[in-house]
Amino acid sequence: MQYPLEREKTMANKKHKLKKDALWGYVFILVPLTTFIIFTLYPVISAAITSFQHYKPLKTTWVGFDNYVSTFKNALFYKALKNTLVYTVFAVPISMFLSFSISLFILPFKKRVQTIFKAAFYLPAIASGVALSFVWKWIYDPMPTGLLNSILHIFGISSQNWLGSSKTAMASLIIMAVFSGLGTSIIIYIAALLGIDSTYYEAADIDGASFFQKVRYVVWPMVKPTTVFLAITGVINGFQSFQNAYLMTGGGPDNATTMAGLLIFNRAFKYFEYGEACAQALILAAIIAVFAVFQFKLSANDVEY
Amino acid sequence: MKGKKLWGFGMAAVMLASMFTGKISAEASGDKDVVTALLPPVSATYQDKINSYVEAFNKENPGIEIQVTTASWEDVTQKLDVQVNAGSPPDIAFIGSDGLSKYVDSGMAVDISKYADEEMMADFDQDILNYFKNGDGMYGFPAYCEVQCIGGNRQFLEEAGIDWKKVQEEGWSYDEFREAINNGVVKDGDDVSRYGFLFACAGVTAKDYFSIFVRNAGMPSAFDKDLKYSYTSTKMLDFLTDLRALIDDGAMPKELGSIDAGKRWNMFLTGQTMITGKGLSSFEKSARDNNEKLKNSDSSAVENSIEVDYIVLPVPVFDGGEQQAYGAVDGYICLTGERNPDEEHLKNVAKVAYYLASGERAAQTCQELYLNPICESGRKAYDELSPIEGKNEDNTKAVQTLLTQVGEARPDIPAELSANAIKIEDEVIVPKFQGLLAGEVSPEEMYQAIKDAAYERFGEDGCVNN
Repeated sequence: MQYPLEREKTMANKKHKLKKDALWGYVFILVPLTTFIIFTLYPVISAAITSFQHYKPLKTTWVGFDNYVSTFKNALFYKALKNTLVYTVFAVPISMFLSFSISLFILPFKKRVQTIFKAAFYLPAIASGVALSFVWKWIYDPMPTGLLNSILHIFGISSQNWLGSSKTAMASLIIMAVFSGLGTSIIIYIAALLGIDSTYYEAADIDGASFFQKVRYVVWPMVKPTTVFLAITGVINGFQSFQNAYLMTGGGPDNATTMAGLLIFNRAFKYFEYGEACAQALILAAIIAVFAVFQFKLSANDVEY
Repeated sequence: MKGKKLWGFGMAAVMLASMFTGKISAEASGDKDVVTALLPPVSATYQDKINSYVEAFNKENPGIEIQVTTASWEDVTQKLDVQVNAGSPPDIAFIGSDGLSKYVDSGMAVDISKYADEEMMADFDQDILNYFKNGDGMYGFPAYCEVQCIGGNRQFLEEAGIDWKKVQEEGWSYDEFREAINNGVVKDGDDVSRYGFLFACAGVTAKDYFSIFVRNAGMPSAFDKDLKYSYTSTKMLDFLTDLRALIDDGAMPKELGSIDAGKRWNMFLTGQTMITGKGLSSFEKSARDNNEKLKNSDSSAVENSIEVDYIVLPVPVFDGGEQQAYGAVDGYICLTGERNPDEEHLKNVAKVAYYLASGERAAQTCQELYLNPICESGRKAYDELSPIEGKNEDNTKAVQTLLTQVGEARPDIPAELSANAIKIEDEVIVPKFQGLLAGEVSPEEMYQAIKDAAYERFGEDGCVNN
């Protein structure tokens, strides 16, 4: 039994220790917090302020909602949003379906073989976007001697002007995005698949479940948190896509591949209209946030993070 | 413990030493007026030579020190734009004159007409110097004027019965050109093995095809002398119809919109086209270098390439147009920042910009790019250089003729009008033109789209309506 004075002392020591621990905690989070404030919070606040200004290095003027009004009046902004939506709606599910399927096929292999497949699929993720665009431009060579066109010729299909026609340009970018971005999703899916306890499969085997039944009733629910994560980050990345259109088509032909990101980039760095670019960027951020919340509500009720 | 102490003393000594040396060097440059310059590799050896240029200048002008930052062509504009918008640009930067209005509009370009000597300004061909003017201000000095035209394969031109020497001297009409490139087409069964004409049009390079050719269709600038937007003229519809016809004839590939600059040069060197665009006079050197490699069985020669004698050709003249040449005038823009430099510094900036754009520097750069200098001091220095061996004299003469036909600069167009015209070009003309090349947009649709965009920005009264 402790005397009251001793107990008080112990409590005070504990409090002191807690304070000391808390202090160290704050010190440790100071670095990421500072980074967050400097590189995320400050730019976002600055962009919000700039969106109400006509920015010039030496003479910035306050223009109220003018930048938002001109954005909403700009037909190209709606076209860019539509293009971005089409790109995301096709690229994200196709990419997820393929990476999930490939992961299922890779999983039964021994670890060494798995690693070879994972490395092969992940390779485009570490290649620079510019290098990738050269490879894909070579694949999409519009002349009959082009790689993809040569393959089509084998099946009696005529040459396609992949990046030069508005009928095929968007599809070409989607295919490029899907195959260049599979690696990351595959690695994440495989990690999730490896986390499923083998007893579930054994139970399913005892119940006489087929391969597809196991996938449908065991694997799919168990990897749902991963799927939701990939869907949300995929949609965010899809909405922010810029590089492929910038490097492959420049947004053409006839603005068929002009994405919101490319439009914002051009507005800011081509025309120096930072105010309007910031307004467009914030509108895009709001759209992304709405989509993310919608996705959470729709598919992540039973998923905990 | 002892080691740690020693290490600590060592580090402290290094810090103190660097503080002192930093102070000393700051004091050393403190006596001098530092002029900063952001420069790309203007020619193949420019960035190697720039150190000796700077050294010579610093020696001759002990009160001024040029500090050069070099950047690749890919990075230089982005680097400059970031610096300009951060309010701390270099004093001098190398830009294309078509970007001048952007920097003037940002308020960061310096009108150096107040700080440069009369002799400096008088040294340049005034028509070319005007490209660095906007309104009443002069914002830099031009380094060269590169005529952008088209170029042909001599052997194929002669096989197609084209008197290329006459074309170089007298130019050609659209109809003559159309006939010529149709004659240049070679078929292997149903497949075309050689096109008559090919222009790099992938992505934004479609802008070059439009900009270079539209000058000869009676619309030398986006604005006429009354500052009315000229691309709404019916001449535009005829021009677009004519360009589309070249593809429909089969003289140009239907995949034109996907062919980039590298691909079209490859197709030219491998004999898949008779004429190519855009053509620069320096392409003669590129073709000759490849010929040499072929002769020496050098494996770095372009795969499946043939020997090509590159011939400079003018752009054809369309109905209602006059012979003009598209000159890309690049040079040194002078900029200021938030630091509000004094008059003495701005005089030094003008002096450095002139130094870089004139004399031996201009001569050597122009010779390397197969161009003619555009300032008197450059021409004098050029004459003293040893001539280029094996240079095609007909091409030299053709380029000289084209230089006299370069369209006049339009410093009278206000920056705001220019900015709006650039937006129409980027957001309507280029995308629709890509559609036109792909056969998905008709000339009428494109013309209507240009009219709609122009009426919206300039009003019907602000546009040419004939």
